[in-house]
Amino acid sequence: MVDQQDRTVKWPEDVAREMSEGRFDTAEMVLNVGPQHPATHGVFRLLATIDGEVLIDAEPVIGYMHRGYEKLVEARDYRQITNLVSRMDWLSGISNELPMWMALEKLMEIEVPLRAQYMRVIMVEMNRILNHLMFFASFGAELGAITPTFYAFREREDIQFALEMATGGRMHFGYMRAGGLKEDVPKGFFAQALKGVRQVIARLDQYENLLIGNEIYKQRTLGVGVLSQDMAYSYGVTGPIARGSGIDMDVRKDDPYLVYDHFDFLVHTAPNGDAFDRFWVLLHEVVESARIVEQAIEGIPSGPVLGKVPRVIQAPKGEVYVRTENPLGELGFYLISDGDRRPYRMKIRTPSYNNVSVLPPVLKNTFVSDMIAILGSFFFVLGDIDR
Amino acid sequence: MPVTERIPVDEAVERARAALSGRAEVTSNQGAVDVTCARPDLVGVVQTLRDTDGLRFNFFSFLSAVDWSEYPVEEGEQARELEVLILLYAPERALHVAIHVPVPFDDPTCPSITSLFGGAIWHERECHDLFGIVFGGHPRLVNIYLPEDFDGHPGLKSFKLPTRSLVKEWPGAKDPDEAAAGGR
Repeated sequence: MVDQQDRTVKWPEDVAREMSEGRFDTAEMVLNVGPQHPATHGVFRLLATIDGEVLIDAEPVIGYMHRGYEKLVEARDYRQITNLVSRMDWLSGISNELPMWMALEKLMEIEVPLRAQYMRVIMVEMNRILNHLMFFASFGAELGAITPTFYAFREREDIQFALEMATGGRMHFGYMRAGGLKEDVPKGFFAQALKGVRQVIARLDQYENLLIGNEIYKQRTLGVGVLSQDMAYSYGVTGPIARGSGIDMDVRKDDPYLVYDHFDFLVHTAPNGDAFDRFWVLLHEVVESARIVEQAIEGIPSGPVLGKVPRVIQAPKGEVYVRTENPLGELGFYLISDGDRRPYRMKIRTPSYNNVSVLPPVLKNTFVSDMIAILGSFFFVLGDIDR
Repeated sequence: MPVTERIPVDEAVERARAALSGRAEVTSNQGAVDVTCARPDLVGVVQTLRDTDGLRFNFFSFLSAVDWSEYPVEEGEQARELEVLILLYAPERALHVAIHVPVPFDDPTCPSITSLFGGAIWHERECHDLFGIVFGGHPRLVNIYLPEDFDGHPGLKSFKLPTRSLVKEWPGAKDPDEAAAGGR
């Protein structure tokens, strides 16, 4: 005999009414996301406590890729460290090398020739374009739109090829040296680089229409995963994620290094702090980077690319903190030297670590279906978190 | 917030000195303010630096530790042991402050600043992992990078970095016979 009670259908309105009256009992459950998931660049695990469709608590579990760089660098000399740190955030290898050398140059008081400084800017900004296009591709894919991937990789290729011409590498470049660069760029590099960045500038409208103008995309991202300014300050969130919350902070403007004060570029911010704004900022930074590369190639002086550097790279005793604007935020090196050829202690402040540490409060009380959109919009690389 | 006021670091040192009124030693180093304070004063010092108008170091950069035990000591200097290092940033003035808190090896504890900066939650866990420092008042002080059963604190200078076989036993069987007999 069928229980007649079982045959009644509860419609969502009934459930909503029962919930509002406090009569609807639900049970909490822990959903384990990961350790591998397509929405994360690396190995990342999220312990999500859910009640129905609502995330009550989310705890990221990291450390699957911990390689102990801060310990390893204490046993390596500076020329070896440049290749280690390049592997932290593998999407922006050359941007990771830069602050490490800048910290050393500051302690050793090495003058970097102007041409090398321009070249560094060109390289780092091209790297930023590569990184951002990669996140343009992956963020779209995470939301179920595969087309951006093909657009992004088409554009990436020309810039990637220019970097390959100069450095020989596609991901880990190993191009910077104390006091400048390994060598000057080959013939044809500037033409190739200009071709790549101009293409990006010309095609931004296409990207915008592809995702930002898309109705489904808007519904997935507008008002999702809001990060407040106070939270960003308290957790030390930087980069496009902080700027997506209306925080006008960019090391290139606030604390200009290299020759960034020679160029005209904008720091984009967006006021709402949701996934939509974070991605909007990221996408518009691509064009600013491309504009910087154009200006730098136009104004680059001739001359040596390596300054006067002592034969033995040995920093004097001292402490220094140097930071740069990595594609994903502020990358800083707190270098303590005891006068040896290797650092006594090197604290690496990576952008993704701080940016991801804010996830538990951001994910709280959001829907499970928004989780991937939020995770994707925090643009992190696990190698950068785990170091 | 964009930079609204650019002041020389000496000016910031003066302001910090006035605000902290003897609770900490304030100097400057490489263009940043350098503060050294004792453990009981830490939370108060951080709060003052965060909330005082004219300073407003309200952006958390990082928290870490330094093991000074192998640092060459010059004559007349006192040997240092552990130190908790906190870096805060003032976005309105584009200035950093580095806060040094000496911690002895035989009592590796330090008050937590998680009530002031949420970002310290993960950084203190990392510091606990790598240096064995216990942060009093932390909401959940468990390992973040290392497995729970990891032996030792790799950030310390006493944790040497030779080849793996010298540090600890190879986990698993060394030769095929051993493996066949029930090892891995």
